[in-house]
Amino acid sequence: MVYSRAIDILLIVAVLAVPTVLGDLWAYNLSLVYLYAIATLGVGLCWGQAGFLPLGQGMFLGLAAYMSGLGLIHVAGGVWGWLLVVPVVIVPGVLAFVIGLLIFRGRTESGPFFALITLAMTLLAFQIATAWNSVTGGFNGLRNIPDLAGMSDFTDRYYIAGVALILAVAFCMWLIEAPIGVVWRALSQNERRIAFFGYSTATLKAAAFGAAGLLAGFAGFLYAPQQNLVTPTLAGFVVSANLVIWAAVGGRGSAIGPALGAVLVGVLSTELRDGGGFGGGLDALWDFLARFWEAVVAGFFIIVVLFLPNGIAGLFAKLNASLKRLGRLPFRPILAPPVRTEGAAGPPALALSGCRVAAGEVRILNGLTLRLDRAAIYCLIGPNGAGKTSTFNTLSTELRMQEGEIRLDGEVISGAAADTLAAKGIGRKFQIPSVFPNLTIADNLHVALWGTRARLVSLLRPSLRRWDTPLLATLRERFPFLAQRDRIAGDLSHGERQVLELAMALAAEPRLLLLDEPCAGLSHEDTRQVIDAILWAREELGLTVLLIEHDMSLVREIADHVFVMHQGALLAEGDVAAVQADDKVREVYVGMAS
Amino acid sequence: MSAELFRFDGVSGGYGEAIVVRGVSGTLDTGEVLGITGRNGVGKTTLLNLLLGYLPLRLGSVRLGGLEIGGLRPDRVLRSGISYCPQERIVFDDLGVWENLSLMHPARKPEDLAAYFDIFPRLRERLTQRAGTLSGGERKILSFVRAMAEDLPIAVMDEPTEGVQQENIDHMADLIRAAKAEGKALIVVEQNLAFLEAISDRLMVMDQGRIVLEGRTGEVSRDRIIGHLQV
Amino acid sequence: MDPLIVAQTLNFAYAVISLLLVVLGLAVTLGWLGVMNLAHGEFVMLGAYVAVVTERMGWPFWAAIPLTILFCIVLGIVVERLLIRPLYSRPFDLLLATWGLSILIRKIVEAAFGGGYISLTVPVKGSLDILGASYPTYRILIMAFTVALLAMLLAWYFRSSAAARVKAMVGNPMLAQAVGIDTNALARNTFVVGTCLAGLAGVIIAPVTSVNPFLGLDYVINAFFVIIVGGLGSVLGLFAGSGIIGGLDSFVSAILDRTSAFFLVLLIAIFFLWLRPRGLFARN
Repeated sequence: MVYSRAIDILLIVAVLAVPTVLGDLWAYNLSLVYLYAIATLGVGLCWGQAGFLPLGQGMFLGLAAYMSGLGLIHVAGGVWGWLLVVPVVIVPGVLAFVIGLLIFRGRTESGPFFALITLAMTLLAFQIATAWNSVTGGFNGLRNIPDLAGMSDFTDRYYIAGVALILAVAFCMWLIEAPIGVVWRALSQNERRIAFFGYSTATLKAAAFGAAGLLAGFAGFLYAPQQNLVTPTLAGFVVSANLVIWAAVGGRGSAIGPALGAVLVGVLSTELRDGGGFGGGLDALWDFLARFWEAVVAGFFIIVVLFLPNGIAGLFAKLNASLKRLGRLPFRPILAPPVRTEGAAGPPALALSGCRVAAGEVRILNGLTLRLDRAAIYCLIGPNGAGKTSTFNTLSTELRMQEGEIRLDGEVISGAAADTLAAKGIGRKFQIPSVFPNLTIADNLHVALWGTRARLVSLLRPSLRRWDTPLLATLRERFPFLAQRDRIAGDLSHGERQVLELAMALAAEPRLLLLDEPCAGLSHEDTRQVIDAILWAREELGLTVLLIEHDMSLVREIADHVFVMHQGALLAEGDVAAVQADDKVREVYVGMAS
Repeated sequence: MSAELFRFDGVSGGYGEAIVVRGVSGTLDTGEVLGITGRNGVGKTTLLNLLLGYLPLRLGSVRLGGLEIGGLRPDRVLRSGISYCPQERIVFDDLGVWENLSLMHPARKPEDLAAYFDIFPRLRERLTQRAGTLSGGERKILSFVRAMAEDLPIAVMDEPTEGVQQENIDHMADLIRAAKAEGKALIVVEQNLAFLEAISDRLMVMDQGRIVLEGRTGEVSRDRIIGHLQV
Repeated sequence: MDPLIVAQTLNFAYAVISLLLVVLGLAVTLGWLGVMNLAHGEFVMLGAYVAVVTERMGWPFWAAIPLTILFCIVLGIVVERLLIRPLYSRPFDLLLATWGLSILIRKIVEAAFGGGYISLTVPVKGSLDILGASYPTYRILIMAFTVALLAMLLAWYFRSSAAARVKAMVGNPMLAQAVGIDTNALARNTFVVGTCLAGLAGVIIAPVTSVNPFLGLDYVINAFFVIIVGGLGSVLGLFAGSGIIGGLDSFVSAILDRTSAFFLVLLIAIFFLWLRPRGLFARN
């Protein structure tokens, strides 16, 4: 930790040394670039952390700049002007959060629609800024904005912008390393999965958008007194687009990356526009670059999108990561608080009645009725296309029921969102192991732990990363690889991923666990271990398990009760022997009556 | 005189890192039907995906007429002489019944398929109907007819009788036997044992990604097969 | 009939039909293939600049048409191979890469031709008398051309076997391969048809607009809104979207001004993106 902090300190020193080392002209150019860099950091948080692209960051930057300018002109200048920082930062932040909630609520990100909405909004903001002459000064903008106290000369402006940038980067670092950063990254890797751990994905994404709004607000607050002029182009599409390009080029996934991109591209474009040249025979190259500069940046952007998702900072990431590992402190665990479940204690009573699901003319579920009410292992079997996974999907509302009802402990839960189900104690493990591939093993398990135990606000507390439970400790004994906390989940073998995902599902300590072929693709030994773990967990937690399985030897071994599905409905049920002897089942499986 | 048409040796592979099919081998001669059966999840469909190029081969080789086709894209493999009837998403829902049957044969006319329509009159009645609106069984029949009508040396079918009425299953068996007599070779994956026994020359039973039982139909013990299939 | 009303109706028709012309290419690539190509407007713009070059070389205007088609075929093939195909499964990155491409193309054109507005001479001058109102002949020709093109394309779409193969591929790519369709080639060819339509629109429209590097942006924004409001993948959606956006634009511009019209279009687009992202008549 000490070593990677060393790099951070070097950068800070470099930033502070610019006016002395490089002179006034550089300081002047960089002051503006730094403010853009702060706004770019916001794009990095949304895009690099939470996985959605805001194409309208300029809108909040412009809003804040206008607020700041108007405030300085009409309300207070000089020293008192500094108090404006509070409303100017908070208003865009809150506005962004609310807009985010409205857009994200009730739908998982269906492609780039959010990007397009923010694009349309920013076009709208530009129109409003241009048209609302009386307030914004129209197309020519808000002029003659007075300075803030302490911003009289170029060097002062530079230091203020530089310190602001350092603070903004620190803010981003804090968020990225806090539990909420882990959750955001998990969300960006598999939004569907994380909802099943109890997280409200809409609120999480809105929070990222709000944080970006705060950063834009901060940059805008300083922009007005620094430039003494605010025009509508600040709120428009070109600025927003540039912010995205800079974030991509610099590396959207890290705290520093977006700022790096903004500074590098900003500096280079200024240099090319006003600067001297390489000198000597390379002048022709210089001229070419200067003329086609933006084309070159665009070309580089395309290359980054195609091949370098982590941008320039990504090239340095390996170095940084190994430095971090050198200085890692030992792990001192804290006991996690208990799971917050709503509803009854004791074994859950799940009842599906007459469930009908159709997609077009295809009947996926056709009047399915089944009931479970003991702490036991129930197996759901049936030929392909019988509707087994569809049953799970209907429970978690990914498939909409046309008819029928689902009740848990007597309460209707048909149509409940995934995170609500998690809160009621229903956990799910998917057929294809859906761990979060870019997170470490420890972080994967943490995401599972926090979902039903922590409130959104607590995700800002670093101590959550030390949570542990006795259940996890036992799982680590059974499966030693889980103790390799820093191993990246994407590097695990298929079998290890199945086990990790099972551990995550168990870590949430559900009352009812839906397992979809937990042993798919596992070797014999691994299957044995997973089955033993499931049996142990059933004892330990008093867990009810509903298991989809094709391997009949497993079913015979562990099932207390079997449901046989066929063509979307329940064909037979009972213990294993009863089902084996049932003629209807034989006919369906073997294609002939006995 | 029947010649070896298709051959696969030591085929292994799966989805992502999971190995689902382990070292499966087999051959197919002209005029021969190879039946493959096993419970769900044993890897039957995965095997077909590996043979036809939808999944990359981890190990092993696939030869059509002596030429190595492992690693070719599915459309190349299929244009080389194999028609395929998949298990799911078996017709083009947005196209009409006739469009499904004539997609790659624009010059074809309904009279050309009269033989099939005589056996399955429901299809002839619904030529302009959108395939997505047919019932499950009707879609299976459409898919079956489409594959047979391609008139290619090999046909590969994945659970063609699922959801089809017994009467039509018998028709399918008749058609397959007739095509067999003319030299067509088929690989048929099925869980319907009666159907498979009626049409296959050889049977393979899979379990846990491997072949656990194989031999000529009639020589393989039926009880043993059922033992591998049932709950 | 009151000539004023005739003139207004013609204006309205022109707004809708010219929008339709520009959107045709996007309807193919986005509505049909599902590829979100943000550089689509730049193909339109390039078509306009081909017309510029044609005029500067002293060739007749109509020579620009085959030239554009040739140019767009080549560029379309290159773009599809390098940018689109690797990113079919990453639609988000595709959006970004094509956006970078649009900037790239724009800046190259700007560097080559300068950023200013270029006017071309209208190839067919004069005006026609329609029911008492006088309307520029060339605009009438544009409308007639677009309607004819549309009719041809619709006939092709509903009748040809190539169109059926594309529909098959889009709906069920796995089965398409199973029947022997080379999906890579078919996707590429369909994309190129889209870019050619875009270039063609650019050539035709060029004499009646001010050609500048940002031409593409103006059109692509509206074009996207047409697809969003009308709905992806359906012919009805295409007409509905063009009618609504083009009509609204024309109507509000006539009553208020261009800015307010744009404003309204933006609001409607936001509304649809938020609450009905599949548009009015999306393909199932």
